[in-house]
Amino acid sequence: MSIEKRMLARELKLIAARPGDIFKPMWFLILVISMVPLALAPDSDLLAEIGSAMIWVATLLALLLNTEHLFQSDFSDGVLEQWLFLDRPLAWLVGLKLVAHWLFHVLPLILITPIAGLMLSVPTEVLIALLITLFVATPALTCFSGLGAALTLGSSRSGILGVLVMMPLFVPVVILAAGVLIRATDGSDTLPLLALLGAFSVVAATLVPIAVSAAIRLNIGGSN
Amino acid sequence: MIFEPIQIEISQLRCERDDRLLFKNLSIKLESGQILRVAGPNGAGKTTLLRTLAGLFDIQEGEIRFNQQPLKEYLERILYIGHKPQVTKDLTVLDNLKFLTDVDETALKSALSAVGLKGYHDSLVKELSQGQGRRCALARLWCVDAPIWILDEPYTALDVDMVKTLDARITEHVANGGICLFTTHQPPQQLGYQTLELGHVD
Repeated sequence: MSIEKRMLARELKLIAARPGDIFKPMWFLILVISMVPLALAPDSDLLAEIGSAMIWVATLLALLLNTEHLFQSDFSDGVLEQWLFLDRPLAWLVGLKLVAHWLFHVLPLILITPIAGLMLSVPTEVLIALLITLFVATPALTCFSGLGAALTLGSSRSGILGVLVMMPLFVPVVILAAGVLIRATDGSDTLPLLALLGAFSVVAATLVPIAVSAAIRLNIGGSN
Repeated sequence: MIFEPIQIEISQLRCERDDRLLFKNLSIKLESGQILRVAGPNGAGKTTLLRTLAGLFDIQEGEIRFNQQPLKEYLERILYIGHKPQVTKDLTVLDNLKFLTDVDETALKSALSAVGLKGYHDSLVKELSQGQGRRCALARLWCVDAPIWILDEPYTALDVDMVKTLDARITEHVANGGICLFTTHQPPQQLGYQTLELGHVD
């Protein structure tokens, strides 16, 4: 079997072994969204107006929650250092890991956002725009938070540090996504902003694996 | 299988970690069929030397050459088993090996029988004892065709029988033209090896 297939097979088996890794962020998303109407005045117009932004931010946080330890257990088990001996460039393997992570951990989050949308009575056309922005933007977000996770591998209490380090990179993605949502609410053209978001994801997906592999090498080199 | 001849040449290697000099002017030549035990007290730089040889640490000063070529060209011919578990606790014994090796299932199963894990194929590593987990990591020695073995504390947590099995496997490997470098604090009885003593630098 090729390394690519072995990597995906391993990822699926890990999910089967630790289903909580998928479901916890989903619970988190639904929990946050179900709290919003309780905390706000029960005004459905207001909810519909801010609902999509709330869902977007909650999805971002849920994504950060399940990406912050992306490489941690493989690193402490010493399995990550074995990647260096596989006959593929480390950046390629990291790319595969990020793709698998997006497919199996981020995609389920996106797929439950329509439920969240219904809970906040978000209009259908905005909900569709929300889904599209999430599809287009989450590859970039996954890459950036993966980079944060890789940079902080060596430090024991890394949790929030990786997120903080990567914050400046999340900001433009969030701003562009918000722009798309506002335009969708107005009914104006969302395509230019979506194209920019897509460009972000493409650039991230090409460059971040290289940066992550450098960060992993650095951390393996610095650990005993 | 019989490996083609290999020569490892370490010359004038020097390493410092956290401002402490671990070794300097370290020069050794190793050839196919040789076993080298790296010895020395805790913190003497045994793991550092092995990890440098495996390409996990950058060379600070000096040179390491495999058949006159730089280390980078030889990474795929190295089998490195570090002192970390090297296995994922949440996966089964078989799945762990399937990810790290590219050999068919029959070869994997016979490797697992060789390390006494027959009947544990589908057990999760977290359900095994520490020694059994170590056996699972070491099973790769029975199914991967890498000529250069770099083993950090391979004897940890192993029982007497498994130590014997491992010694026999290392002997067989070097008889086939392989090279084995390892560290351990309990000198193996059944093995003919050279010793490199670290920890005498000031």
